[in-house]
Amino acid sequence: MDNVIFIISTILTVGGALCVLLTKNVMHACVYLLTCLLGVAGLYVTLGADFVAATQLAVYVGGVVILMVFAVMLTGGPNSQSSNKFGIVKIPMMGNAKTYIIGIISAVIFGLMAYKVLSRVITSIQAGEAPVFTETVEKIGFMLVTDHVLAFEISSVLLLGALVGAAIIARPKRGV
Amino acid sequence: MNNTIVSYLSQFESYKGLLESFSSLFGEAGPGLLTFLVFLIGCILVVTVMATIGGLGTYAERKISADMQARMGPNRVGPYGLLQFLADGVKMFLKEDITPNTADKFIFGLAPLLALVGVFGTLAVLPFSSGFTLSNLNVGVFYLIGIGSLVGVAIFLGGYASNSKWSMLGGMRGASQIISYEIPVVLSLMAIVLMSGSLNFGGLVGAQGGLPQEWFIFHNPFTFIGFFVFFIGALAETNRAPFDLPEAESELVSGYHTEYSGMRFAFFALAEYIEVFVVCGVGAAAFLGGYKVPFNLGGEGIIGQVLQVLVFFGKTLALYYLVIMIRWTYPRLRVDQLMTLCWKYLTPMAIFNLIGCALWIYLLDSKSMWDMLAAFVGSMGTGGGH
Amino acid sequence: MEATYSLDVYTPVVILLFLGAITVVAALLLGKLVRPHNPSESKNTPYECGEQPVGTAWSFFNMRFYVIGLIFIIFDVESALMFPVAVIFKKMNEIGRGGLVLVEIMIFLSVLISGIAYCWRKGDLDWVKSYVPSKDTNNKQG
Repeated sequence: MDNVIFIISTILTVGGALCVLLTKNVMHACVYLLTCLLGVAGLYVTLGADFVAATQLAVYVGGVVILMVFAVMLTGGPNSQSSNKFGIVKIPMMGNAKTYIIGIISAVIFGLMAYKVLSRVITSIQAGEAPVFTETVEKIGFMLVTDHVLAFEISSVLLLGALVGAAIIARPKRGV
Repeated sequence: MNNTIVSYLSQFESYKGLLESFSSLFGEAGPGLLTFLVFLIGCILVVTVMATIGGLGTYAERKISADMQARMGPNRVGPYGLLQFLADGVKMFLKEDITPNTADKFIFGLAPLLALVGVFGTLAVLPFSSGFTLSNLNVGVFYLIGIGSLVGVAIFLGGYASNSKWSMLGGMRGASQIISYEIPVVLSLMAIVLMSGSLNFGGLVGAQGGLPQEWFIFHNPFTFIGFFVFFIGALAETNRAPFDLPEAESELVSGYHTEYSGMRFAFFALAEYIEVFVVCGVGAAAFLGGYKVPFNLGGEGIIGQVLQVLVFFGKTLALYYLVIMIRWTYPRLRVDQLMTLCWKYLTPMAIFNLIGCALWIYLLDSKSMWDMLAAFVGSMGTGGGH
Repeated sequence: MEATYSLDVYTPVVILLFLGAITVVAALLLGKLVRPHNPSESKNTPYECGEQPVGTAWSFFNMRFYVIGLIFIIFDVESALMFPVAVIFKKMNEIGRGGLVLVEIMIFLSVLISGIAYCWRKGDLDWVKSYVPSKDTNNKQG
C-alpha cells in the first residue's frame, strides 16, 4: 500500500506542477495547483506525518485554493486585459518611526506579560512525569506546550498581524 | 488504535482460515491482498448504502414536506412511492448532456467529480460501529474537515465554469458561505476533542456512554451550546435551507448548478444529500454518543455490532429528519444576515464555548453535570438524613 | 527508530476516492450510449430567463468575498495550531499540568479574539459596508 500511495501522490504532485507551468489559462492553473497540493498531502502521508497531511488538506485545499480562485475572479479572471478595476489608490504605508517605536514597545510589553504569567505556571516537566504519547498529533501538541511554547504564542501574534494587515489592505476607499 | 473492519474480522476463525488459503495461493502478497479485498468490499458496501440513503433522502424529503403541507407526496412508483428515487435516477441518466458553448469544458466536467470525490472521502472515517469503521485514522476529525472542503471548491468551480451570471454569483456566495461556516463547526468540534482527548472517531465515541446522560451533549452547558452551534454551522455548510442561498430557486434560478443537466446535476444533488448524512453522522458521533448502545447490550459480538450500527443509524436519521423539517419550516436567510450570523454570533459563541470547556475540564476534572448531581444526591442521602 | 508506520489504514481512503472518480466517469460514459445528443444554438447558450445573455459573466467587483476568504484562512491556521494542544489537554490535566496548557490556550485565543474584535469594529465583517458609499454605481449587493 505504501508504494501505491507514493506513486499516486507523486503523479499528482509532479503532474499538477507541470500542468500549472504549461497552461495558458489562469483558472486552469489554479485547478492544477489544487491537484498538486493534494499530491503533497499524500506525500506527507507516506512520511508518516498524518496530522501535517490533514492540515495540508484543511488549510491549503480548503483555504488557499479558494482564496486564489477568488483573487483570480476579482481581478478579472482569465479574460482580463492589462488594466484592472481595483480602485485602490491608497498604498498602505510601510510605517513611520512612530509606528515602529509603538510596535516594538508593545511587543516588549506583551513578551514581559506573557513571561510573567507563564513563569508562575511553568515548572519544567521531569522526564518520568510526562505521559507516554503514541500518535503524531499528541507528540506535536506536547512539544507545542513545552519546548516550543514561544513559537506557539508568537504564531498567534503573526496571525493577528496577517489578519489586520489583510483587513486594512482590502478596505476600499472611504469616499474621501 | 486501529480497529478497522480488518482487525475486527481477524478475530474470527473463518477469517484466519481464509488468510491461510490466500497465503498459500499468492505467497507473500496473500495477506495484503486479502486486506485489500476486504476493504474494497467494505467500501463498495458503504458507498452503495450511502447512495441509497441519498436517494431515499430525496424521497423522504418529498414525503415529509408533503406531510407538513397536508398533501400526499409521491405514491405512484412502487409501494408508497418508495422507488421514486430510482425513477428519478433513470430519468436523469437518460437526459441530454448540455454543455454551454461558452463554458470552460475542463472545469465544467471537473466540478461534479470533485464534489463526489470529496463526499466519498468523508465516508472513510464515519464510525458505524466499534468494529465496522472503514478507516480509523488517527486524525479522523481533521481529515474529515479537510476533505469536506473539497466540496466548497467544487461548488465555486461549478459556478465559475458555467459562465453565466446566475451561476457565478451562486458559486461565489456558496464558496464564501461554506468557508465562513467551517469556523464555528471546527471550533465546536475542537471543544469535543478537548473533552475526549483524541482526534479519531473511535476515541470520540469511546469517551461517551450509551445512556443519554453519558453523551457529550449533556456533559456540561458548554457542549450543549456547542451542539447547536455545530448543527447550525453544519446546516449552512451543506447549503441546506434556511441557508440555501447559493441554489436559491426563487432568486438565482438555480445558482451554481443552473447549467448542469442530467447526470452532472445528479452528482451534485447526490453529493449534497450524502454530505447531509455525513454531517448528521458526525454530530451523532461527537455529541450524541455515536454507536454506543445503552447498557452495552450485545457486547462486542456480531449481535452487538448490529445493534451498534442500528443505534448509529437511528441517531443520524433522527438528525436527518430534523434537517428536513427545518428546511420546510423557516424562510431563507438573506446573504448579509447569513454572514452576520456566522461571524458575529456563531464564531464568538464557539470561541467562548471552547474557553468554557477548557475551564470546565481544568476546574472540575471533566466530571459531567450528572456525575456531580449524583455525587451531591448521594452525599445528601448518606449525610443529612434527618 | 520506532516501528515502521503502516499505511494500510489509508487503503479505504484511497479506494473511496477512486470509487468517487470512477463513478462519475463511468456514469457519464455509459450515459453517452443511451443519451440523446441534439445540440442546438438555443440549448447551448447560458440561461438568462429567456433572453439573450448580455455581457460577460462577471463584471462587478466585490471585495467582501476576498476579505471573508482571508479571515477564514487566518482562523483555519489557528484551528490547525490549536488541535494538537486540544488533544493533549486532558492528558496534561491528569498529570497536573492542566493550568499550564490552559494559560497557553488563553493567551493564544485572546490574541485572536482581539483580531476578530478589531475586524468587527472596523466594519470588515459587514456584508454591506455602512460607510459613505463610493461613486461606483455598478456595485451590486452581494
